[in-house]
Amino acid sequence: MSHVQILDVEKSFQGRQVLKRINLQVEKGEFVTLLGPSGCGKTTLLRIIAGLERSDGGKVFVGGKEIIEGLKKKAQNIGMVFQSYALFPNLTAYENIAFGLKINKISPPQIRQQVEEIMAILSIAGKEKNYPHQMSGGQQQRVALARALVTKPDLLLLDEPLSAVDAKVRESARSLIRDIQQKMGITTIFVTHDQLEALVMSDRIVILDSGEIMQQGKPEEIYNKPANRFVANFIGSYNFLPGSLLGLPNKNVEVCIRPEHIKLVKLDSLAQEEDASAHQLQGTLTNLYILGNTIRAEVSVQGKTLLVDRLNGFQASNFVLQEEVRLLLKKDALNTLGITS
Amino acid sequence: MKKGILAKVTLALIFAYLFFPIVATILFSVATRWSTTILPEGYTLSYYQQLFASSEFMHALLRTVYASFATIILSILLIVPSLYLAIVYYPRLEKLFEILSILPFAMPGVILAIGMIQMYSRGPLRIANTPWILIGSYFVLILPFMYQAIKNSFRTINVKTLTEAALMLGCGKLETFIKVIFPNVLRGVISAALISVSVLFGEFVLANLLVGDNYETIQIYLYKLQKVDGHLANALVAAYFLVILFMSLLLIWLAFRTRKHKTIV
Repeated sequence: MSHVQILDVEKSFQGRQVLKRINLQVEKGEFVTLLGPSGCGKTTLLRIIAGLERSDGGKVFVGGKEIIEGLKKKAQNIGMVFQSYALFPNLTAYENIAFGLKINKISPPQIRQQVEEIMAILSIAGKEKNYPHQMSGGQQQRVALARALVTKPDLLLLDEPLSAVDAKVRESARSLIRDIQQKMGITTIFVTHDQLEALVMSDRIVILDSGEIMQQGKPEEIYNKPANRFVANFIGSYNFLPGSLLGLPNKNVEVCIRPEHIKLVKLDSLAQEEDASAHQLQGTLTNLYILGNTIRAEVSVQGKTLLVDRLNGFQASNFVLQEEVRLLLKKDALNTLGITS
Repeated sequence: MKKGILAKVTLALIFAYLFFPIVATILFSVATRWSTTILPEGYTLSYYQQLFASSEFMHALLRTVYASFATIILSILLIVPSLYLAIVYYPRLEKLFEILSILPFAMPGVILAIGMIQMYSRGPLRIANTPWILIGSYFVLILPFMYQAIKNSFRTINVKTLTEAALMLGCGKLETFIKVIFPNVLRGVISAALISVSVLFGEFVLANLLVGDNYETIQIYLYKLQKVDGHLANALVAAYFLVILFMSLLLIWLAFRTRKHKTIV
């Protein structure tokens, strides 16, 4: 039996259904990310798993125990990190972390040992006497994480804990959380709207939209084989084009391709790539700009704008705007999402 | 430049207007004789000695302290938990509380007092002419101050998330309130209490109408004293002024501390 079982969970707010019969299993030690745009129901689902919100139907089990809203949570031992950290402002970092252990009547020497241990792991040793307002956002985040981890929870729930810190801190926090999760082997459910976070950190990503699971799978599966238009649109950039444009036999099919799988060449360049492995299209280069490690070109093909990404260092200066160019679309990178409406 | 001088002069005039009577009161309370001279002819602390030696004064003071503190403790015990429950569990009730808390402003003291005397002189709850009726009406009187100050201190913390964080760590609901929420709103509660103390120490209308001689508070005592001895009354007013001043300073200090300790929650 899976460690976390979510069975037919439903929830409505004022007549609006935010979760539609969600079924989800999480294995022991797995890092699962609930990813979706705001309002997709991911936070509500997390709160139901935490027992902070009552579901309208369905059941949640963690480690075989049913989670019931309103029940005292001493027995369920689920750690949670909130988006705003929710550190207790009147307590020091040490007291914040020790709080859960104290409530569970652990002996003081053991509390001291466990708190010091987790503070060392999260490299916040030395901040014991600091109050939350005396710490940076990144440090507060670590204290919040330590507070959730110190009780050695059966399940760790993370509600967008990275959204309140700046980009640099976020990047290091991503690998920190992932490292600790791996080291301690803690089953983790992580909520985010940031696709990059999801791709980098997760064992499995669950994509939610309007209260339904759109797709779930390993990060590379989600990225390479989106199950539908929503997922394709939500993760990274995608070019959507009708099959007729490529001269496919089924004209009604819609295909999509990642910008990095399209090659941009001069119109008069020797058609060395003119082999069976790529479709060819001709278009007008309408825009060219740098995204950092890649350069993005916008090419208009029969009124449809396609995005093309090349690694920075590619000879962009060879091209001028409004120039006619040739696009090579790798056939094995084409993805058909089904019949267009 | 000119503007600056004008502002300073205006400020000085306002301060003079406000402080002159206070200075005069304090001077009169330590003057031996003060009738034909600009400043008193001599100084003495004997009125203060008399005042603090008088058992009537001490009793009046204690009565005021009892009534004020009982009222304040009662309102803390009622307002803090109800507001907490409203914020976390029944958000719709908060609006009702808001309206209730403003209602006392619409009720002049005299009307409140007469209404209460009529209501509580007969029937099952016969508390007219006892300190209880005073405490009851004082509760209504300070409700707006207490409510607003406590509500503001709830605003400085994220009550709902803190509650949930405590619950997730294994706290019960009551335990959460006592161990997490109350310590974090304590400062606001103290400043609410201080405001209320200064309001209640100066309260005369309700005390005079509701209990009068049956429960002589400090203001009623002052009222009587004024007819007997001006110096003594002035000593009392001066002492009262110093207490209120001290409490105001404490309040300001608390407010500053709270601002400094404000956290991102």
